Order: sequence, then C-alpha cells, then structure tokens
Amino acid sequence: MQRQRHSAPGAALAFILVFALSACGTTTTSPSSDAASEAPPPGSEAPESQAPASAAAPTGDPIVIGSTLSLTGPFAATAGLHQIAGEMFVERLNASGGLLGRPVEWQLLDDESVQENVGPLYDRLITQEGVDLIIGPYATPNIIAAMGAAERHGYVMPQHTAVHALLMTYECQFPAWSLGPEPNVFMPNELFDALETLDNPPESIVAVTNAGGSTDFITRGLADDPDDPGLLAIAEERGIEVLADIPYPPGNAEWGPIAQQVADANPDAVIMNSLGIESASLIEAMEQLDYRPPIMFSLFPAPGPLLGLGEAADGHLSVSVFEPNESLIDAKGDEVRAIVEEFQSRAEEAGLPYTAFETQATSSWTAWEILAAGVEAAGSLDQEAICDALHTDGADTTFHGHLTFDPDDNNFWPSDQGIKQIQDGDWVMVWPEDIAAAELRGP
Amino acid sequence: MIWRGLAGIGLAVVGLAVLPWVREALDLPVFLLAFGTLVLTWTALATSWNILSGYSGYFSFGQGGFYGVGLYTTAVLTGRHEWNFLATVPLAGLVAAVLGLLVGIVAFRLRTLSGEVFALLTLAVPFIVAPIARLNPSIDGGQGITVPVPEIPEPLNGFQDLSFLLSLAIAAIAVVVAYVAQRTRLGWGLFAIRDAEGVAEGLGVPTFRSKMVAIAITAGIAGMAGSVGAIQVGYVTVEGTFNLQVPLFVIVMSVLGGRLHWLGPAVGALFIVTLRDRLATSGFEGSSLIVLGAILVVFVVLAPEGLVPRMRRRLVPVLVTVAGVVALLVVTGLRQDPVDWLALGLLAGAVVAFLPGIRRRASGEVEPVGPPVAEGEPAEGEPAEGEPTEGEPTADEPAAAPGVLPAEATEATDATASQRGPTREPIVVATDLTKQFGGVRALHGVSLTVAEGELIGLVGPNGSGKTTLVNLLSGLLRPSSGSISVGGVDIVGLPPHRIAHAAVARTYQIPRPFASMTVRDNVAIAIMFGRSPTDLESARAAAEEHLALVGLAHLADALPGEINLHERQLLEMARALATRPRVLLLDEALAGLNPVEVDNAVGVVRRIHASGVAIVLVEHLLRVVNQLATRIVVLDHGRILAEGDPASVMSDPEVIRAYLGRRAAGRSEPAYEQRGLADA
Amino acid sequence: MIFVQAALTGVLVGGLYALMAIGMSLAWGMLRVINLAHFGLILFSAYLTYALTTDVGLDPLLTVVVTVPVTFLIGAAIQWGYQRFAVSELSSLLVSFGLLIMGIQLISNVWKADFRRLAADVNPYATGSLTIGPLVFPMPTLIASVAAVTLVVLIHLVLARTYVGRALRAFAEDPPIAAAFGIDHRRLGVLLGGAAGATAAVAGTLFAIGWSLTPSTAFEWFGVVFAVVILGGIGNVLGTLLAGALVGGIAGVMTIAWSSVAAPVVVYSLVVLALLFRPNGLLPRRGGHGGHR
Repeated sequence: MQRQRHSAPGAALAFILVFALSACGTTTTSPSSDAASEAPPPGSEAPESQAPASAAAPTGDPIVIGSTLSLTGPFAATAGLHQIAGEMFVERLNASGGLLGRPVEWQLLDDESVQENVGPLYDRLITQEGVDLIIGPYATPNIIAAMGAAERHGYVMPQHTAVHALLMTYECQFPAWSLGPEPNVFMPNELFDALETLDNPPESIVAVTNAGGSTDFITRGLADDPDDPGLLAIAEERGIEVLADIPYPPGNAEWGPIAQQVADANPDAVIMNSLGIESASLIEAMEQLDYRPPIMFSLFPAPGPLLGLGEAADGHLSVSVFEPNESLIDAKGDEVRAIVEEFQSRAEEAGLPYTAFETQATSSWTAWEILAAGVEAAGSLDQEAICDALHTDGADTTFHGHLTFDPDDNNFWPSDQGIKQIQDGDWVMVWPEDIAAAELRGP
Repeated sequence: MIWRGLAGIGLAVVGLAVLPWVREALDLPVFLLAFGTLVLTWTALATSWNILSGYSGYFSFGQGGFYGVGLYTTAVLTGRHEWNFLATVPLAGLVAAVLGLLVGIVAFRLRTLSGEVFALLTLAVPFIVAPIARLNPSIDGGQGITVPVPEIPEPLNGFQDLSFLLSLAIAAIAVVVAYVAQRTRLGWGLFAIRDAEGVAEGLGVPTFRSKMVAIAITAGIAGMAGSVGAIQVGYVTVEGTFNLQVPLFVIVMSVLGGRLHWLGPAVGALFIVTLRDRLATSGFEGSSLIVLGAILVVFVVLAPEGLVPRMRRRLVPVLVTVAGVVALLVVTGLRQDPVDWLALGLLAGAVVAFLPGIRRRASGEVEPVGPPVAEGEPAEGEPAEGEPTEGEPTADEPAAAPGVLPAEATEATDATASQRGPTREPIVVATDLTKQFGGVRALHGVSLTVAEGELIGLVGPNGSGKTTLVNLLSGLLRPSSGSISVGGVDIVGLPPHRIAHAAVARTYQIPRPFASMTVRDNVAIAIMFGRSPTDLESARAAAEEHLALVGLAHLADALPGEINLHERQLLEMARALATRPRVLLLDEALAGLNPVEVDNAVGVVRRIHASGVAIVLVEHLLRVVNQLATRIVVLDHGRILAEGDPASVMSDPEVIRAYLGRRAAGRSEPAYEQRGLADA
Repeated sequence: MIFVQAALTGVLVGGLYALMAIGMSLAWGMLRVINLAHFGLILFSAYLTYALTTDVGLDPLLTVVVTVPVTFLIGAAIQWGYQRFAVSELSSLLVSFGLLIMGIQLISNVWKADFRRLAADVNPYATGSLTIGPLVFPMPTLIASVAAVTLVVLIHLVLARTYVGRALRAFAEDPPIAAAFGIDHRRLGVLLGGAAGATAAVAGTLFAIGWSLTPSTAFEWFGVVFAVVILGGIGNVLGTLLAGALVGGIAGVMTIAWSSVAAPVVVYSLVVLALLFRPNGLLPRRGGHGGHR
C-alpha cells in the first residue's frame, strides 16, 4: 500500500516525461503537427491539390510563419475556421511556388484563449523559435496582446479580426477586415443606408448590446470622446427614435426579461450588437413570448445557430465581407470557387458544425495574402522592408481587390463590408447593391 | 538560521536579476525573459495565495478578483489618467489589499464560518466586482482600456527587461514573506489556525488579526502581480480579467508543489508554466487540460503533501538529476530550447523524488509536512528508546510515586505547595454567573473564586454545568450575566487569546493537538504566543522544560497522531502550561485512562500544582479529586450545591443524593469509592 | 405587468438552476463531497442529447432514456473513487476540478469548440410556450421547472419514506453511529453518487433543448449553481428549489428594473448576506449538515 502510494505519482510523472519528450520532438523537427507538416517537403512533388499547378516547386530552407490561435478555450469556437483557412492557404502557396521561391511552413501555437499567454508566446515564436514572419491570432484582446510583442521586435503583423481601428496603433499592423477607421460611425450608417431602401424604412429601434470590448463602442461610440458617436447618436441624428437601450453582460444566460423589454417597446427594428450565439438566444426568447420584430440585425453572430432557427430567423440581417453565394463566386472566378469548395469539405472533415467560407475565413485568407504580398514586394524577409512595401504598394487580394494602407488611419482601409440576410434558409449578400447576390427583403 | 535562508533567497534573486544583462552574452533568447515573467508572476500569485490558504487552511477563490482589481488599478491610472506605470504598482497592491481586508472583515467576523463557506464567499468576489467595473464608465464602462507601453527606465534595455525585473521583485516579496512567515509567529499562528482554530485562540494566538494580516498580504501581492499583467496584455477587458483562470491555476500550482512549504507554490508554478508552454507549442494542445487535470487528481489523491516535501527528502539525488539532465541536454545539444532543458530536468527530478525506495524514517512514513522540523534537527534530550511511555521522566520530584496515594498525602502536598487560609490572593473572581442557551439555563448565579495555590475540584453530575463554567472562565463562551475578573481585570467579552494572556489556560476534554506539528512544536506555539512573544528557536528550547514537567520529553519529535490518548492529554497540559498561566483549567483531563495512567496523570497534576499554578480540576473520578483537591465545588443543575474541604463535602448527604440518588444517600459508604459515577 | 412576467420568466429559469444544483447539493450534504465534476456530467449529457437528436433522430426529451443511465454510472463510478481513496471534502473540490477540466477537454476534442444548437426542425420546444391569461410560460424553462419540482418531490419522498432514504439521512448526520447500526455507507454512497449523476442528465438534456452548447459553458454555471446550493442550504433539496426560483426571479426583475449587467451584483450580494445571516440556507434547518471544518 505504501509502496503504491509512493510510485503512482512517480509513474504519472514518468508518463508525462515520455509524453513531453515526444512532444518536444515535434517542435524542433517540424514546426507543428498542423498544416505545416502536411506541406510538401522541399523538393518533393506537390500533394494532390486542387490548386492550379503553376510555377516551379519551391526550394531551399523553409520560411517559417508563426502565430497562435485559440485552439482551446472559449475562443476556439471560431479559431477553428482560421486554422483551416490558414492551412489551406499555406498548402496552396507552396503548390504555386512558395514565397520568394522557398517553401513555407506555419508554426501554430495554442494560446488557450488566455490573453496573458499571447504576448509570451509571440516572444517565443520570434526570439526562440526564430520564425521569419508572424501573423495575428484570433479575437481582438489577443490580437492587441500579440501586437505588443510584434511592435517590440519590429515584426510586421497582418491580422484578421480586430476591427476596433483606434486601438490598433502599431504602424506595421495590417488589418484584413476593415470597418474603416471609425467602425462605430461606419457600421450604423451603412445599416441605416441599406434599410432606407426599403418601402417602409424603420422609424424606431431598440438597441441591444453586449457590454464588452468589441461591441459596446459600436452602440455608444467612444467612451473617452463624446464627439465620436455610435449607433444611438447616429440613429437620433437620422431621425430614428431609440425606444430602448439594453446592455447585457458577456456570457449572459437569461434572455427572457430582455426579450420582454424588446417586445414591450415593439420597435420597427432590433439592432443587436452581439457576439456568438447571443442573437439566436434572444430570438428564441422572443419567439417564446410570441413576438417577432419586423427587422432584426446582429453584429458579429455565429452564423450557424441562426440558420438552425429556421423560419424564426428568416430575414435576419448581419454584416459580411463575403458570402459563398453563386453569383458572388461566379463574379470572382474559378479560383475562388475552388477555395470555397475545398474549405467546405475540410471543415466538414474536421467535424465543424458550420462550414461555409464566409467572413471569418475570408478575413483569414486576406491576412495571409497581405503577408505574402508584402514579402514578395519587399523581395526579402526584412521586416522593415515588408512594412514599407505594404505602406507604399499596398496588397492585391482575392476578395477585396487592391488594398492600400494609410498609417494615419492605423492602416484601416476604406471598408467594402456588406450586409447579409437570411433568405430561404441561407445567408445571402444583399448590400451594397453592386455586390449584392439578392435584393434586401423588407418585413 | 532565518538569516541564512534569507541570504539564500537573496542570492537566487540577484542571480536572476542579472539575467537581462548577461542574456546576450549567454546567447539566450529574449523569450526566456517573457517566459521568466510568466513563471515569476504565477509564483507571486500562487505563493501569496498560499500564505492565506495553504498556511491557515482557508481556501480562497478570490485570487482572481484581487489580481483583477490590481490590473484595473494600473490600467485606469495609466490608460486614463497618464500616471507613471511604476507608481501604480504599489497602489495596485494597496487597492487589492483593501479589498482583501473588506472580504476578511465580512468573512472572519462570522463565528460559524467554515472553510467551505469561506471558499464560496471568495468565489462571489469576482462576480460582484466585475459588474461594478463594467457599469462604471470611469473604470471600464464595457469598452475595455488600452494600457500604454510603460517608459523603460534607464539601465534597462527593453520592455521584457522591465516586466521581468518587476515580476521578479514581486515574486521575491511573496517568497520572502512566505519564508519569514514559516519561521515566525505569523506563519505559526496560521498553522495553528489550520489545525485547530479554537485551541489556537485559547493558547493566545490572535486568530482574527492573523487571518486579516494573511488576507491583506495575499491580496496585496496578487494586486501587484495584476500590474504586471496589465502591461503584458496591453488591453484589458472585464470578461478577459475576472475569470476562473487565476484562482484555479494558483490552486493547481500550490497543490502540485506543496501547500505547507513556503517554496511549494513557487516550484508548482515553475512546473505548471513550463508544462503549459511545452504543451501549447507541441501540437498537443488538445491534451493540455487533460494532463493538468490528471496531475491535480493524481497528486491530491496520492501525494497530497506535494512535490517539495518529497524532493527535500531526497534533496541531493533530485538536484543531481535535475542538474545532470539539464547539463546533458545543453552539452549534447539534443535540445535547443532552454524551456526544454528545464521541462525535462524538472520532470526527471520529480520522477526521482517519487521513485519507490528505502524509507529514511523508520516510524511515521509521512514526515511532518507542515511547519518543517528545523533541518536535521537533533532531538535534544531524548531519552533512551524503548522506555515505557508512562515511565517517570526527570525524577526531580520525590513525592510523585505511582500508586494510589493515601489520603494523608494530599495534606502533605498542599503544605509544600501553598499556605492555606484567607491570606491567599484571589486570581479569578467570578460573581453571579448565569449562562442561558436558548430556553435552557446551564448556569444559575454561580460565584467562584480561585486563589493562588488552590487546587479546586469541580464536580457534579453530567449536565450540571461544569464544562459551561470552564468555557465561561476561559472566554470561549460569554456569560448571559455576571462578571469574571482575572487579577482584578474584567475579562468578559475579551477574545480568548487575550484571556490566555491574562493567565488563564485550559485543556480540552478531548485532546485537540495541532496535528501537523510535533509534540515539541505544539508546546512551542503556546510559548511563542504567550504574554511575552518569543521567537521560534527559543520557544522550542523552552518547550523542553514543559514537556519534562509532564513527562513527554522523550516524545518531543513525535507527531500527535503517533502518541496515545494519555500522552495526548499530557500534551494538552504541557501546552496549557506553556502559556505560563496562574490558573489552569483541566477539563476532564483524565477521562478514558487506565488505572496506571491515572496514577501517572495524578502525579503530573501534583507537580504542576507544586510549581505554583492554581488548578481547577473538572473530574468524574471522585477518588482522584479527593486525593488532589484543596477545595471541592459541587455543581448541580447549574447551581453550586456544596463547597468546602474534600472530607466534609464528600460526606454531605445532599451531595451524595445528587450523585447517587435517594437510595445511596442512606448508606454510610463514602461516595468517592465509586468510580465513574456519571456515565462518561 | 412587465415585472410580473419578468419575475415569472426568471423563476422558471430558476427551475433549471435548481435542476443543475440538486445533485451537487445532495452529494455535498449527504456524502461530504463538493463534486465539480457534476458540471461536466451536465455538459456531457447536453452534448449527448444533441448527438442523439441530431444524428439518431430521437426526440430531445426522449434522450433522457440514454443520458440518465449513462450519467448514473459515471456519477456512481466517481463516487466509488472518492470513497476508495477516502477523499476529504476539500480534496474532493480539487480532484473533481481536475476531472472537470479533463472532461471539458475531451468533449471539446470530440464535438469541437464551435457552438452547437439543436436545429428548430428537430427541437420544437425551444421556441414554444404556454400562454395562460396574460402570462407566458416559455416551454424549455417550463419543462425544466416541472422536472425540478418532480425530482425534488421524489427525492424528498425517498429520503423521508424509504429505508434507503432514512439510512442516508442517518449516515449524513452521524456516520459512525449509522455504521454501527449496520448501514453499508459505501454502497449507499455509490448509489447516491449515481442518483446525483442522474439529475445531471436531466439538467443537461433540458439545457440542450433551450440553450446553445460550447464546452466552456460549464464554467459559466459555477457562480449561479453555487449561489443556489448555498442559498438553499447544503443538502436541502426543497431549499434548493426555492433558492433557484429566488435567484432566477430576482435576476429577471433586476434586468427589467435596472440592467442585466447589474443583476449579478444584486444576486451575489444576496448570497453573501445569506452566508452571513443564514449560513444554513433560507429554510429553517432540520438536522443534517451544519458548518464544520
């Protein structure tokens, strides 16, 4: 008995030791167990890829691109999409000749959705692992933490999902998703512009807001600057009455009373600056009260659960930079079709519940393109040269065309973001008119 | 002794502090500083948590709240009010400490506070603090705060130098406090609270104040660690700050390293941070939580004392293994990553610590893990082994021969110990005491004076109010009415530790030793917290004398769990004596002993009495009371039934009737021939 | 009127909280085990309901036929482990936290971290409701509340009327004496551990019907479930039900009257006050578990 008590923890530790040994092995020999290890070894033939075969196979030492993603923890819900998009991009890049003629590897670390982990992990990537390039993690707080490390080491950091332009102050940070330099002004105006084309534009709204860092400022404008308005002020300015302003805490679980407040106000439109599943929860709670607002908009919802609501969410509005709608794909061409299809099949294979190549994946793709464009334009891996090249030449991207970066706007380019709507059980781009796949439907 | 340890810590701190300057010469990456910052920040958080929760046993989930409050203090002051970052660090500690004191005032005032309830109270802290930050636009208001990059002071090279040195300083404060506490009254008071809080208070430990000091330290250090966290993340949000991350990881770290040793949490932090880094970067991210969870389960169930005590037991082999593995990896170049060296070295060392092997100690497989027995301390004055436990030690007193003493012996002892008569100075004067429990009146107008040199036998049937009276005299309970003065000072309402200082000590019916401390340290505690505070070393030396008096000197290094009931009762007496009381209340100190042990205990009581301590002896064995007492007080139904010298009281028909009922009252046989009259 | 409806909606949500808390409270009060793994069991059965409904096509309510036995076995096995290794009350908190994070990670590895939600076509309950006069009873929380009341009555009857129940109570009050009367506390403990696990299955299934799933949800239950357990009085099932309703109702009314951002301040301040002034829960105490260290 005593002997047992002695040896069991020892055995457990020995197991971890063996485990750690093998784990360490993977880091030093190949960058990670992820996409990079599936990338073709230098000199070998490209794997069966649907990508257009072009250029010579890359040769020489691999260029290593480092980043973290929240592979575990609360942010993992969305980070999985960025992982698949990144893996696909790297494979295609290698299949089409790599970067500067060299193969590319992606070294991906898990930040566990913990903000405090991100800075040290980027320090690790840059100074210990010696990666050549970095790309941003997922979710605004993590991106800002990574930006600190990038700035300390003078690394260029394209990032996919932080849209709060004023916070992104590092000059070599390049956004791949832009709501312009003032998202809190752009977003409400775009929405109201779209809604005004309806036969009966809404005259009153209720604002429902996640009182958290990435949504609250869209509703209220900037807390520090009364001249920088948000949804509430802009609505008043445009003559739209705000019947109620309902904030709720992130992670809110009780939607009944909020649904009741909304139903009680009975507005023409509900504008919900929300994240994740919050919109779906509110809709269900309103359905239970037998109330359905004529128009409802959500800012950053998880797209799958809303579709899962079926008819209850029909006509729901949100923002999008790209939707895999037939007409949009047609307009972009065969390469985009191949990307969209491959992404979908890989996401299905990974067991993700919602597999469409939409805003998240598009932004991821764009961030990688910005990085590749910067390197090719600079002709070297010199960070300063890459940063300068991006500032002077901009970057060509598949989904946003040519982007230019103005340091005065923290590199946030004029937004081409659109509005999407659930129509007949699918998300469809409806605004602005030049990229719309269908017409915006009224209530 | 303590200075040697502090010098060691100081040396380690200096060794680490030069790292930013020698780093480049040694060709180590900047990342190592970032990694070091993480380890040190967690060391500070876990070590400070342990000062409250490990030492005193009050588990807290509040560490995240304290950390978050510190983090927000720095974020608000630097981000919104352009304060200098460094100036906000102590302030962050202060604000968090104030929050800690608030929690403490609410929680520790509670008489019925249990450990679990305290844990859950602290769990509520972040739930209350977070919405306040979110609702208040001058704190957060929901939009988060950008924390500006601090200015880097002159001799430093960059941001990582600053955060490394800062977290080193905070971790050093935490470790030094933990170390010093473990060797001084603060820590020992907390250990005593963990083992038996009520007893500790009765021996003179100011329990409320100790816990308040501990929670202030815990919170203050966590708050300062929050400052470093603020500049690390650069942008703080309520949802990213007040989560379960901090409270849960400090617990895992402390459990792994060992909660009862000052260095335990630091070692745990080093292990966990290293392991997390390796898991996060190895492509095994899906198993990180599984490994951490398994560590927690395995260690709590099978090795609850943690790594450090195990490692200390094989200090040399462990150190050699760690150094050997690291050196091997460095020299052979099998691994390039310094964290790999560390991870593999630590794991190998831990495996060595847990290898099944020869037991060093013949008795007591588990070493006293709590307050460490001073390194390699020889058990001074230990008598020859194999001596029977009831053997008479240090026979400097001829009178105490074993065996039933004839009645005349009582007179003899009394004559040597004190002078009879009204000239004796009263020490305890209790007047008209009444104690009511709900509708039940346990004591009713009882007055009692204990004078110098007296040995009062307090007897009475079960439920007659004896123990209630003892509890009132020792301050454990407050009388419903009436007054008690000790040496002319009114003690009603004073906390028990103050009454202990006023020279009244007691023992408990069921011995309640401090289970994690040796017999010697059980006594030393009482000396440390006595009227004239003493340090640990001299208290340990002085404890020998008290142990000798009760005949426990040969067991000084044993743990209370290893000695028998009789010895534990003697330990109770030694511990009570160590507070240097003028009056000692012995609450059924002889219950459950066999006749030989009773005789031995009688001898001990005599010796204590002979040393000049007045005694109130609550006892069922009338034979014993009759032998020892100079005066007997009989309680019945909460009132004094009779009082006077043993012979006359014991032949009082009223007394006999109260004890044995009507039938026995007619008999001439003295009542005290009966043993154990009331059921125990 | 809006306040009445808000209170009602909240009270019904409180039914779900109570459902989540019952098993935890029972194990704590009767077995002296603070079992955080209970949250893992709730999460697991919620995912099981999702899988069985989505992949097999069962009606979500019917999945309890599977989830209840499964979590019964797991709960019993965990309790067996606690007893086998004589895990103390405080240690159980740590051990079960280890089990919980392992479970969450396993669930995350199997079902991925992305949000899972029963689609409307297989889950008619999510948007349904019962209207009586001016009052609306949302279906998911109504079912949860009915289940909570049923369970509480059932458990209460079992504890009060059956031999097993009396044996359990005797054991909770004085283990050595109960053992002396020949009560096999080990078998009883394993049985109760299983029963507590079974209540987790009911809570998990009903959660899946009304809410979205993601592995980290389990951590979000900590605060409110502990609040309910403590307010109700540890080990007191009737109190748990009452406390659930109270917490839910107060949060509902506070949301309307002030803001849902502020609601936690009120709820948790209430918990602190309750701990200070009624440390044994809202209901008067009738023996059983008291404060002890």
